[in-house]
Amino acid sequence: MTPDSLPKQDDEQAVPRPEITDPADERAPVDPALFEQVAAEPPFTRAVTATPLHLETAGESHTNRWVTWNGYTVPEVLSDLTDEYRALRGSAVLMDVSPLVKYRIAGRDALAYLERLAAQPVAPLAAGHAQHVIFCEGGGFVLGDGMLFRLADDEYRLVTEETHLAWLADSAEGFRVRVEDVSATLGVLSLQGPLSCFMLTEIGVDEAAALEPGAARWVSIGGMPVYLSRTGATGDLGYELWCDAEDAPHVWRAVMSTGQPFGLRPAGFALRELARLEAGHPRAGHDYLSAFAAIEPRDMLPPAAIWPDFSIAASKGLFNGGAALRAAAHIAPSRRVVRLAVEGLEPVRFAAVSLGGKVAGIATSTGFSPALGANIALAILDTGALAPAGLAVLAERRDGLSIVETRLPARILAEPAFSHPRRMMVPAPSRA
Amino acid sequence: MRRSGNTYDVIVIGAGHNGLVAAARLARSGRRVLVLEASDSIGGAAATSEIVPGYVGPAVAHLIEGFPKRIERGLKLGRHGLRYAARDVPTVILNPEGEHLQLPRNRKEFARFSKILPRDADAYRDRVALLRSQAALIEPMLGELPPDMQDVAAMRRFLRRIVWRTAFSGRAMLEGLMQTLPESIGDRLDGEFESPLLKGALAFDATLGSAEGPYAPGTSFRAVWREALRMQGQGLRQFEGGTGALCDALASVVNSQGGDIRLNTPVERILVEGESVAGVELADGMAMHAPLVLSAINPRATLIGLMGAEKLETQQAMELCHAPRPGSTAKLNLALERAPVFPRLAAEHYGARLLVVPALQALDDAANACREGRFSCEPALEIHVPSIADRTLAPEGQHILSVIVHYVPYEAEGGWTMKREAFVQKIVRTIAAFAPGIEDAMIAGEILTPPDIERKYGLAAGDWHQGDLRLDRLLGFRPSPSFGRYRTPVAGLYLCGAGSHPGGGVTGLPGWLAAEAAMHPEGSRK
Ligand SMILES: Cc1cc2nc3c(=O)[nH]c(=O)nc-3n(C[C@H](O)[C@H](O)[C@H](O)COP(=O)(O)OP(=O)(O)OC[C@H]3O[C@@H](n4cnc5c(N)ncnc54)[C@H](O)[C@@H]3O)c2cc1C
Repeated sequence: MTPDSLPKQDDEQAVPRPEITDPADERAPVDPALFEQVAAEPPFTRAVTATPLHLETAGESHTNRWVTWNGYTVPEVLSDLTDEYRALRGSAVLMDVSPLVKYRIAGRDALAYLERLAAQPVAPLAAGHAQHVIFCEGGGFVLGDGMLFRLADDEYRLVTEETHLAWLADSAEGFRVRVEDVSATLGVLSLQGPLSCFMLTEIGVDEAAALEPGAARWVSIGGMPVYLSRTGATGDLGYELWCDAEDAPHVWRAVMSTGQPFGLRPAGFALRELARLEAGHPRAGHDYLSAFAAIEPRDMLPPAAIWPDFSIAASKGLFNGGAALRAAAHIAPSRRVVRLAVEGLEPVRFAAVSLGGKVAGIATSTGFSPALGANIALAILDTGALAPAGLAVLAERRDGLSIVETRLPARILAEPAFSHPRRMMVPAPSRA
Repeated sequence: MRRSGNTYDVIVIGAGHNGLVAAARLARSGRRVLVLEASDSIGGAAATSEIVPGYVGPAVAHLIEGFPKRIERGLKLGRHGLRYAARDVPTVILNPEGEHLQLPRNRKEFARFSKILPRDADAYRDRVALLRSQAALIEPMLGELPPDMQDVAAMRRFLRRIVWRTAFSGRAMLEGLMQTLPESIGDRLDGEFESPLLKGALAFDATLGSAEGPYAPGTSFRAVWREALRMQGQGLRQFEGGTGALCDALASVVNSQGGDIRLNTPVERILVEGESVAGVELADGMAMHAPLVLSAINPRATLIGLMGAEKLETQQAMELCHAPRPGSTAKLNLALERAPVFPRLAAEHYGARLLVVPALQALDDAANACREGRFSCEPALEIHVPSIADRTLAPEGQHILSVIVHYVPYEAEGGWTMKREAFVQKIVRTIAAFAPGIEDAMIAGEILTPPDIERKYGLAAGDWHQGDLRLDRLLGFRPSPSFGRYRTPVAGLYLCGAGSHPGGGVTGLPGWLAAEAAMHPEGSRK
């Protein structure tokens, strides 16, 4: 379809922008952009909801393979997954992760609000740092998890995989706090890999090396202000670059042009998933369900079922789900999210996990880990099936046009398939 | 425990009558009690106030129907000066055209009633009988701690008792009650009666204190609830010295037991340590300590305003997030230089509860107008002349007039400053239609719109019940499921105002039962 065949947008009919809410009003919870009227789609067309980096990634796409992530169209694979993986582990990759859900939480009571919201203590979090947070509903079941950045004394940014605005707004009742969905206003670039720090230094961001894991600070890239954080879920050194949506393409080009000679490659969503799987991070909505989204009660999980090292800190006061979790502290969860490795040297598809022939769980994310040279998965298993041996998966392998089903032995991985000590090093290695 | 000047066994927030009942009961149990009141006088919406020097009267609530004998006896209020000026006060519906209509209390009055309304008399007798039998089913629940909804055994005992009681009174009874629950009072009355006057009065009684119109679902049950509350009490009565006399007697109990009542001392914050209450903080930053704190003010104001949402989980805070429905009842107090004259009103009825009510449709219009910030051109009034039975209220030969106005908006269209005068005019003119010349007898007056009542007497949003009496907000679900049975998630912190079971009105029951819950904390949750 040519642009001409699309109905013209009539400027006169454009609805006026709703008034921007008073920024001083800490209780106005909702980003006004959410209520902007969107012109109706003509029949039989589908609009692409683009991220601020869409043109950049589209220009890099050699495959035209796209996926929808949180409603945004992002590249699945730009060139070749194996090549992208090789860049990730050998040099660095640049990914567009703008579809992440981002909330700005600000106001006098922001800390008290977050302390009540999250299952971990958040008071120790200093400005310019980020931490992982889990949040539960009243029954102690997980609603979601995310990274919480403290931008200033009473300003935070919560970054999650799924949207939680209703819960965040409900929880704001009685707090002098303002909760806004700022997802659309920010472009987010993820620069991950052993040479990521080196490349940032090459661009002139000398501060990158000194940044501790989880720390963040404002830097300038190509003249644009960028909030640089040493975060990412690839099990390796990596950074995320947060900037204005308008600046994002310029930042992308600045990083790409500097990094390309050293092997930097753009990468898509498939690599992000693979890297996350190798690093062993469960993804909300995929490896576990928000308690509000779970239809089957058994799909509602307490934090310890997903993050085995979770426990309620002694210093932690009241928080959502806290009473229920403390009351059930002695009861082990009946299901657990675990990392699995499956025998066999070629990629296979599988879902059901069995123990002694009986179904014991299901693999929720699967992939072939080049690091381990094996199929790996995140799976949710009945606690009774956490046996050292005897687990198996029913795998499908394509053979020409036919599909061969085989039962492959599986084992629980104690450690993630990939985790490099470089991830935690300070200063970060900044030499090629 | 350390007994320094700032440490007590119990702190009660708010010296409304419920706060004082709780304080008196706890003081009598030997506890050292401190009552903190924001305003410069005790009583809240159950106070006596001065209209002009020499003329005093019930400021807000004027007639008492649900105050139980066991509270009066249990606290020995008689010994502390509580007297009744009138008992078994009759109710008379003022008729603009013909004879005024007294709601019968006995056979003789019923004979007179059937002479005036021959076609409705039998239906009225049946209605009263049905209302009483239905109210009798729920009445015992109003006087006791509601069962713990989480305690299966207690719930089972509770349900078995209801089922027993209902089974005992027959299947038709149960069906009747089930039918009543969702029904509107207007529909029911339309089906039973002819007289618009009678229908208006019965609908008025069922809806007074809420903004719901006579055709709103659930209003029929409110009549049953009110009847049940009435059964807890001792009939329609009037205290000598105005409603505030009750609070004076209660305060005297508290004082005689060594308790303190401090006026002009608003509580700013409730202090919590760990998971238990530790005391309160006053406006000047001073902390008062007590292991037990009872709050007689609105549940939301208590838990979110004074304690803070960070002490509640999201779901619990959400239950309180709906701001109370603003009150819809106003009060007019007049000082008269001579006795009002109501033509055609029998002499023995001057001290009665006098109702001025339009027909059902007009009552419904008034409810709609109220919702839109207007007041109706046919106001519905409950008039009482307390100085007839109580000569202490006004100088010899002079009187005060106490008027409750139904369906008055909290926020008037155009603002109360603009509308106040017109509103008073309209009420006075309505009264003058029944008592000609009353305008000339007026020497002073005081109008209390719902926001005035909130400001002056501390009743949140001016609401009669500190949160509407909705079907889903009764018993252990009042004010909401997490805070039923007067308890809160914070150990030692209790709610004891009209926002809790069994609701508003001068009954003392929320305060009485909250004190019971506070005295037996271990028995409340198993
Ligand atoms: C117009 C009208 C007419 C009514 N007529 C009748 C009637 O005729 N008969 C009847 O039975 N009922 C009547 N009622 C209902 C009855 O008055 C109330 O339900 C009852 O008085 C509520 O008592 P309470 O003690 O629970 O609360 P309140 O009387 O509201 O007491 C609360 C007290 O707390 C104080 N306070 C508030 N905040 C603070 C703070 N931060 N620190 C310290 N103190 C604080 C307030 O000043 C107030 O004294 C009427 C209500 C209205 C609105």
